[in-house]
Amino acid sequence: MKRILPFIIILAVLGLALGSAWYLTRSVPSTPTAVGQQASQSPGTQGSPAQQGSVNPGIPGAEPAHSHGPANAPVHLEEFGDFECPPCGLFHPVLKQMEEEFGDKVRVTFREFPLVTIHQHAMAAASAAEAAGLQGKFWEMHNLLYDRQNNWKSQFDVRPVFEGYAKEIGVDVERYKRDLNSDLVAQRIFNDGRRGHSLGVKGTPTVFMNGREVPFDQLLPAEKLRAAIQNELQAAKR
Amino acid sequence: MRKIYVSAALLSLLGLADALYLTVEHLTGATVQCTILSGCSEVLSSRYAVVAGFPLAGLGAAAYFTVFSLATLAAFGYRAAGTLLTPLLSAMFIFSLWLIYLQAFVIRQFCQYCLFSAAITSVLLLLIVIGRFVLKPASV
Repeated sequence: MKRILPFIIILAVLGLALGSAWYLTRSVPSTPTAVGQQASQSPGTQGSPAQQGSVNPGIPGAEPAHSHGPANAPVHLEEFGDFECPPCGLFHPVLKQMEEEFGDKVRVTFREFPLVTIHQHAMAAASAAEAAGLQGKFWEMHNLLYDRQNNWKSQFDVRPVFEGYAKEIGVDVERYKRDLNSDLVAQRIFNDGRRGHSLGVKGTPTVFMNGREVPFDQLLPAEKLRAAIQNELQAAKR
Repeated sequence: MRKIYVSAALLSLLGLADALYLTVEHLTGATVQCTILSGCSEVLSSRYAVVAGFPLAGLGAAAYFTVFSLATLAAFGYRAAGTLLTPLLSAMFIFSLWLIYLQAFVIRQFCQYCLFSAAITSVLLLLIVIGRFVLKPASV
């Protein structure tokens, strides 16, 4: 028995490792069916974010915030993002897809959270979006920055690239260039960052759904976030 | 010496879990969240994270599993398994140094999970070297 015991242990660990990997990589468990199953669980066991924990309102961010969707939408998604962050770039089309699918049931707010310690162009990108925002073109710049993240993140000097984007979306480039270094833009980024810190944000993307943080592993792929939103909508009906 | 092999087996399980986590992240298409202190998403989405179409983290998981198997066999008295541990861990250690170099000077971002793996490999090698060459081989 002692001769075969190590082989049994090795096989057990192999089985456990492969089983864990299979369980974690298999297609998304939170399908709409699973949502229905979750909804039938007793409140507090797992359920939707609306059933978990208390809401920390945090301190206010930049006002007016950059938001899409009706103010009274049953689901409010507040994203703290960094335009240079690859997962934020992956999350961007998912969030857009959710907005299209759920329409006026969802309101989306974007908050600046540039991780300047690890992303050299994060602050420049945040400033570019805010400067465009002063001319009413925040979302246009926001979309371009994410859609073309791979084009600019490895550039040495991103200023001419972002000026090109500004021109492309139709903002007054001279005013945009002045606004880039304005106190107003800096203050907006600072206020959003301060709000993020008050809510315990440590990384990006961090998303709060009706004030409760959505775990990072529930944001991607789209099926997971869809299930979380559906859960929240069901909870809101009760 | 048996205690050293048992410790090495347990330690390699930590490495296996770490590498498995990174492999799953790679295979599911999700990348690790950007955090204030971590550049994991940059490291894991770099071209160095894939070797011949295979996730590097997967190779790491296979290596840690091999270390676990050899250490377990050695703990149960299979001497040949213990002998194989030194070259395997040496190769893993050198590869870890190469990955740290890539993070420091090429990608210019550090991933905490990759550093954790390098630390485990270093401790494993140290354990085995101490066990095999500093402690009396006669006690093996």
